[in-house]
Amino acid sequence: MSDRKVTLEFNDQIVRQFLLATIFWGVVGMLVGVFIASQLNFWQLNFNTAWLTFGRLRPLHTNAVIFAFVGNMMFAGIYYSTQRLVKARLASDFLSQLHFWGWQAIIVSAAITLPLGLTRGKEYAELIWPINLAVAFIWVVFAVNFFWTLARRREPSLYVAIWFYIATIITVAMLYIVNHLSWPTSWTHSYPIFGGVQDALVQWWYGHNAVAFFLTTPILGIMYYFVPKAAERPVYSYRLSVIHFWSLVFVYIWAGPHHLLNTALPDWLQTLGMTFSLMLWAPSWGGMLNGLLTLRGAWDRVRTEPVLKFFAVGVTFYGMATFEGPLLAIKSVNALGHYTDWVIAHVHAGTLGWNGFMAAGMIYWLVPRLWNKPLHSTSLANLHFWIGTVGILLYVAAMWTSGITQGYMLNATTEHGTVLAYPNFLDTVLTIKPMMLMRVIGGGLYLTGFLLLAYNVWRTVRTAEPVNGTVEVFADEEGVPVEERLGVLGTMLSPPVLFSVLGVGFACVWMFSGQILSILGLVGLMLCVIIGYAHFESRGKSWSGWYDKLLVNAAPFTILTFIAVAAGGAIQIIPTVIANKAANVEDRREIPYSPLQLAGRDIYIREGCYLCHSQMIRTLVPDVLRYGRAGVPNDYSRLGESIYDHPFQWGSKRTGPDLAHIGGKYPNIWHFQHMENPRSVSAGSIMPDYPWLLVNHTDVAALPSKIDVLRKLGVPYPDWSKDQITASVGAEAKGIAEDLRAAGAYVAPDREIIALIAYLQHLGTYEKINGGPPAAHAAVAP
Amino acid sequence: MFRRLVFEDSAALFTIAAFITAFSIFVTIAWRALRMKRPQLERFERLPFEIATPSAHDAHKSEPSA
Repeated sequence: MSDRKVTLEFNDQIVRQFLLATIFWGVVGMLVGVFIASQLNFWQLNFNTAWLTFGRLRPLHTNAVIFAFVGNMMFAGIYYSTQRLVKARLASDFLSQLHFWGWQAIIVSAAITLPLGLTRGKEYAELIWPINLAVAFIWVVFAVNFFWTLARRREPSLYVAIWFYIATIITVAMLYIVNHLSWPTSWTHSYPIFGGVQDALVQWWYGHNAVAFFLTTPILGIMYYFVPKAAERPVYSYRLSVIHFWSLVFVYIWAGPHHLLNTALPDWLQTLGMTFSLMLWAPSWGGMLNGLLTLRGAWDRVRTEPVLKFFAVGVTFYGMATFEGPLLAIKSVNALGHYTDWVIAHVHAGTLGWNGFMAAGMIYWLVPRLWNKPLHSTSLANLHFWIGTVGILLYVAAMWTSGITQGYMLNATTEHGTVLAYPNFLDTVLTIKPMMLMRVIGGGLYLTGFLLLAYNVWRTVRTAEPVNGTVEVFADEEGVPVEERLGVLGTMLSPPVLFSVLGVGFACVWMFSGQILSILGLVGLMLCVIIGYAHFESRGKSWSGWYDKLLVNAAPFTILTFIAVAAGGAIQIIPTVIANKAANVEDRREIPYSPLQLAGRDIYIREGCYLCHSQMIRTLVPDVLRYGRAGVPNDYSRLGESIYDHPFQWGSKRTGPDLAHIGGKYPNIWHFQHMENPRSVSAGSIMPDYPWLLVNHTDVAALPSKIDVLRKLGVPYPDWSKDQITASVGAEAKGIAEDLRAAGAYVAPDREIIALIAYLQHLGTYEKINGGPPAAHAAVAP
Repeated sequence: MFRRLVFEDSAALFTIAAFITAFSIFVTIAWRALRMKRPQLERFERLPFEIATPSAHDAHKSEPSA
């Protein structure tokens, strides 16, 4: 290697772009959040306008804060730290710009389509399929740019932050692709290929790990880089960071089913999800303590420096949120907390405290360095910190109180558990309204603090000159020495990998096969452990040598990380897809929707009704008492009752009551009046009015394509012609319209309200079966 | 609810199997981390500091101009 040195200039322009986008979208996302929280207090704020209703804006809020705010923050942090940790400029300026502008275009597309009601009907996965493709493409651009940069690095060792970034990139890609597998029915609509329980499992495998690998692992990487930099001392324990990474990456992916406890999800999956969630306590708290203890010796500066303040409290909230998550995943605690505001409190402790404060700390640290000018006002940044902290505490305390109140009231019974103490759902809603108002105040304070950040940054950069970081490197310096390189074969044919694969294989044979094979599996597993231990004792150097090489080889490291995260999903999803399908259902099986009901269901999804109403009566006595039908014993939701639902609509929150068995409980006129003006039949309701449903025409023309797609996905629809579908819709709609007319409401049969009533009246209908394959049901034939 | 096609009879095993699996990985990684040599650890720990950046103190020391 020659002694000639060259100066390398980092691409900090892209970091500045992502940083400013973070601030802009942060303001937008939080503003929408405060607005929709206000709508829950004052229903008039829905303005009787379709695109301003809670159901359409709530996905805009969640997508904006997750993918726009945290997404842009993550990209800024990753690009800044990666270049410096690997001593290489980003591989491609073109890919960097394509990444930035592509991501912003996706966000703008989401901001337009979601209020228009164009949605897939799955939480945090609402974007329509053309935007899904764009997300996948831009993510690949990001991945190529990142891994290409690693390939050009001059620093052989991969710091732990890079590990977390690698896990983020590959896991988010895997989750996003699997959960967005859809069959288009038009340019703006599709149905997920999974239905019912399969869709529920895949959705929450994705949903939970969107939190894990979009909101947590990249921010942990950022923590491991920026907290030491801000504290000006190395991470407290690098050993602990290694344990933190591998245990978190392996355990997190399994925990998704804890979002479906006490539901119709098979019990083994619920148990698995709960168990792994509890195990998350250890790595999460290991990481949290590692972050906090990195501030050792710098606590005196926490008092004066806003960056350290934000980091200290952000990491503390990471600890709080990751304590609360496993707690809520305990089945009995979940019976109280699920579907209530307690979960909202938990989520916002994580997003406002962990994500928001880590973002603020990173922004305040980066801005003076990227624009080479001191921050406009440290005092304003400190004020931001205190306003934000008070805001979070108000928000979270209010939602804890609200959630636990909801849980207690909705589950309360008298007469030895046979009668509900509060049979009217609205009793609970009215009780928690003050808490919902306090949430608006807390959220408003947090937004105010963030606006101070925006102002502070604007005052700092408006007269400043952007500056790019540089580093001197040897001209022909190589990243990984040839003798340290580890190819794919060297990775997979190493003793640790081989013995692990064999051990897992034998363990599976032991647990899941018949008697003789089971014994063979057990013997094989024991032999594998014994021989592996003997090999390790005699050739220990080859084991540790392999691991040391792994730490400087990005591609093999990525492959093993992918295997670690893919295992959890595969073990849960594959058996569910194979076994839990309509042909195997016992007891109750869903009757497919008629064409009119299907049109109504798509309206229900378009309006975001699933964001406030669940369709899952849990296997809990209060749930059955409240939502079960009179005269039907044990009327909880069976797995088969939603087996044809693409997407599933089990929901995650009950701002309003469960609707799984709502069909037939009320006459058509009640639903009509409830949609036109909810307060006319439910005094005190906070639901918006839906006057446009009485005006808009049902989209009958789209039904043939939709039914055709559903048939391909396994719903047993006959091969109806377009005319048969139209005739079916006409006949069913006419019947409902005449019934409404007899009750004093005049509405044309072709209006959306008719389709929606048809759908709601169908909910909970099923065929009683004793096994056997499903057939096209007479009840839905035109 | 479903025919007992898979796993239903093995449900009780899952908590144990999950615990053993995760615990094995935890122990393996912990052992590996504890065996890392001090020079190697220091090398990793110092990586964020190999490229100098202005200190946070320098970056924040000025209060706003009017």
